[in-house]
Amino acid sequence: MMDKLYLVARIADTRVALRSRAINSVVTVGTPVEVPAAPPHVAGLFALRSRVFTLIDPHVVVGLPSVPVAPGQRVVVVDVAEHGYALLADEIEDVCFIDAPETRITGKLMPGWARVADAMIEHEGHSLLVVDPSHFITLPAQRAA
Amino acid sequence: MGRTDTAMDDLLNDFLAETAEILAEAGGALVAWEADPADRAQLDAIFRLVHTIKGSSGFLALPRVTALAHAAEDALDQVRRGNRPANAALVTGVLGIVDRLSQLCATLGSRGAEPAGDDGDVIGALAVTEDAPEAPAEPAEIQLRRDDDIVTDLQGWRSIRVPLPLLDSVMTGVTDIVLARNEFARMLRESGADPALIGAFDRLSDSIAGMRQSVSQMRMQRIDKLFAPLPRIVRDLAHDLGKKIRFATSGGEVELDREMMENIRDPLIHIVRNAIDHGVEALDGRVAAGKDVTATIAVSARQSGNQIEIEVRDDGRGLSPDALVQKAISARILSAADARALTPREKLELIFRPGFSTAAKITAISGRGVGMDIVKANVEKIGGLVELRNDEGRGLAVVLRVPMTLTIISGLMVRAAGQYFAIPRGAVREILLETSDTVRIERLGGGEIVTVRGEQFPLLRLETILGRTRDHRDDVEDRALVLVRPGQGQSYALSVAAIHDHEELVIKPAAPMIMATGLYAGTTLPDNGRPVLLLDVQGILAAAAIDASEAGRSLDHAVEAEAAAAAARNAAQLLLFRDIGGRTRGIRLSVIERVEEVPALALFESAGRIQAQIGDDIFPVHAAKLPEGHGTLKLLRLNDGQMVLCYPIEEVVDIVRLPEMVQPATAPGLIAGIALVAGDPVELVDPFWLMEQYARGAVAPAVRQPICRIADDHDGWGDNFLAPILQSAGYRVVAETSGETADVMLCLTDEGAARAGGGDVPVIRLRASAAAAGPDDETVYRYDRGALLDALRRRIGGAGA
Repeated sequence: MMDKLYLVARIADTRVALRSRAINSVVTVGTPVEVPAAPPHVAGLFALRSRVFTLIDPHVVVGLPSVPVAPGQRVVVVDVAEHGYALLADEIEDVCFIDAPETRITGKLMPGWARVADAMIEHEGHSLLVVDPSHFITLPAQRAA
Repeated sequence: MGRTDTAMDDLLNDFLAETAEILAEAGGALVAWEADPADRAQLDAIFRLVHTIKGSSGFLALPRVTALAHAAEDALDQVRRGNRPANAALVTGVLGIVDRLSQLCATLGSRGAEPAGDDGDVIGALAVTEDAPEAPAEPAEIQLRRDDDIVTDLQGWRSIRVPLPLLDSVMTGVTDIVLARNEFARMLRESGADPALIGAFDRLSDSIAGMRQSVSQMRMQRIDKLFAPLPRIVRDLAHDLGKKIRFATSGGEVELDREMMENIRDPLIHIVRNAIDHGVEALDGRVAAGKDVTATIAVSARQSGNQIEIEVRDDGRGLSPDALVQKAISARILSAADARALTPREKLELIFRPGFSTAAKITAISGRGVGMDIVKANVEKIGGLVELRNDEGRGLAVVLRVPMTLTIISGLMVRAAGQYFAIPRGAVREILLETSDTVRIERLGGGEIVTVRGEQFPLLRLETILGRTRDHRDDVEDRALVLVRPGQGQSYALSVAAIHDHEELVIKPAAPMIMATGLYAGTTLPDNGRPVLLLDVQGILAAAAIDASEAGRSLDHAVEAEAAAAAARNAAQLLLFRDIGGRTRGIRLSVIERVEEVPALALFESAGRIQAQIGDDIFPVHAAKLPEGHGTLKLLRLNDGQMVLCYPIEEVVDIVRLPEMVQPATAPGLIAGIALVAGDPVELVDPFWLMEQYARGAVAPAVRQPICRIADDHDGWGDNFLAPILQSAGYRVVAETSGETADVMLCLTDEGAARAGGGDVPVIRLRASAAAAGPDDETVYRYDRGALLDALRRRIGGAGA
């Protein structure tokens, strides 16, 4: 049943569903510490229970301009390759079971979204993109270069 | 049932961990024992190890492991009882068993059960030589001895096993406590709590500090562990390559954080493999180099401050800087132009360039895609350094210098662009305020340098490096310079907005994309609970692309010397030389075209003057007589733009700056005056006078070239072969039919010579045979260039006299 548990959130101005097993927790952040000279999608660092997490701005990853972090903003904490990251979320809606099957993405997505989205899923009469949080950690090669 | 399973799992895990350790240890001990079969202590140690595996595996019902351990134990016991010699075959056999045990344990670890299979091959290999006379069995005695062994074993294991994740979670827990304590301390201070409360808190604080210390010590392991697999690797590799190697380790008692240990294991093995494969010569090569055929590779560890230095030293061929450069050029990782600018040290460090492999061909041993660049990167990742100490022809030492512990370092907190950064305290040499009197900051061509007590450092502003602007709240008065020494022989000044304080910092690696900037070495959580980035002082240097080498930087010495050298280059320079008479004389360097070294025979006397033949040119020589002997001599070639004059010397002494004070000679002559050079009087040669003496003689040939007529050139040899030589020697060649009056006639046949013999034009007759017809034969062999030119000079010189 865990497979059917999704976190529904608005990330980079888009409602998406995140598979719950990919997610560590959802927390709020204070003012992050900036990382000068870091890639543009790195919004800063913050500490949580003596661990340092790297804050990722999903807007930049999908090709939108970056959005400043508001104190108290909620973030989705994920672990990728033994490092802790937090994706800035515009809004966290709900954690819920979605019984509908994940379907192949139909229609053309923006290149940024196409890279992070795995599938689509039907939830309460809306289609949501199912995204893999680990895809937000790295920028597409041509942007990083 | 479930409980029993768990208990069994725990036992199995303990067994696996213990066995892995024992096997690593046994491999090393076996190789040591093979080197010295008489070493009873080693033999007993190996026996005990195998015995322990046999005992534990029997309890866990692992028949294959038990059988293997039993076979090894049996064979070793035979040796202990003197029934079997300790030889290479036995060691190879036992090593075979050790390898098989390692494989089995690996499978056990992943599958949880012993795989089916047959170990008859390795057990059989061990039994091959067991045709030695079998001594009567004495079971009671053996049993006793084994009991002894087990007792010593038990005493050796006065420690417990703790799973690493548990250890790590204790570490994290303690870190959390420290952070909570720090926050609590701040709140206490701000609330103005009563002294008794603060006193109690301080006691708590102290015990937390002590606990943190203990936890970091728990993570320390003897470096022996790191060295354990090396003897085996050396033995096998040396065997494969047909090399003889003596391997020694020392300093195994030095302790290192286990995480650091993990990080340097592969680099260390790679360096040792390199030493065997590339460093140590083949046997014949060592004999040719006059070395002991058995090479020595020594791995040693020592602690210096909070750093551990691990050195891998071999007595092989060392690195050849020039060969490295050639290789780098052919591998296209270096241009020939760049190569010329390299210092010897930079040449050595070419081996750290990606894509560089020193082996002429990639061998199975070292050519596995892991280069020294990866070694360096891995060591630097944990805040370490790789150094090379090269002694070309005699060996190479590779030194890994790593911090003792990765997790807690002493850091200096600094501020820039409105946020805090940490600098490893170990890399900080000195801290100064920018406003200090001892500091002088200058802008030079867009860059900045700072001079501190006569020593110059490149100045980097942290804000600039980070691509930020200065925070407007920063007080200029607070700006400070941190003199950073990222590695040996390098230093620079880092300008920061303010210095905060020193703190013990728990360092964690930052996310890969942050590490990829090259500016940060990790993150840390100081007392205030806000993450701080640890600056990578070496990476900053690379990002700024400055040369921070300390060589030739000290203002007092090298810089002045450099400036003086530059001034000297512009000023007139004096070439000091010892002349034929042994006196030291000087002459302005600018009149010297070059220094020639010619055979003494190239000088000849003509018309009362000494001349030198250099190539096909003939130049006057300033000498009273021909040199004696048949050696070579050096000639200064003076050129005034019109003519060349040679001045024979014994040797060039030096090039110095022309002294300003010259005591002029009383009359014009060879010596223009006397000057003091480094306290010694030196006669200065007057090039003007010198040239004047020879100019008159030289002008005539310069204006009018002697004319040569070639007679009787029937087959075109004269025209095709002879004329070019004559022309390049300064003669003009005219055709036989030309009406011009020739200075000399070259006759290519006897008849022609006879015919022309009557005229007043000198004739040189050339003969076709190398041998002269008789003692009076004045003809010249036509391919004897020297004799021919000589003859020409004599004829024309004679005509002119």
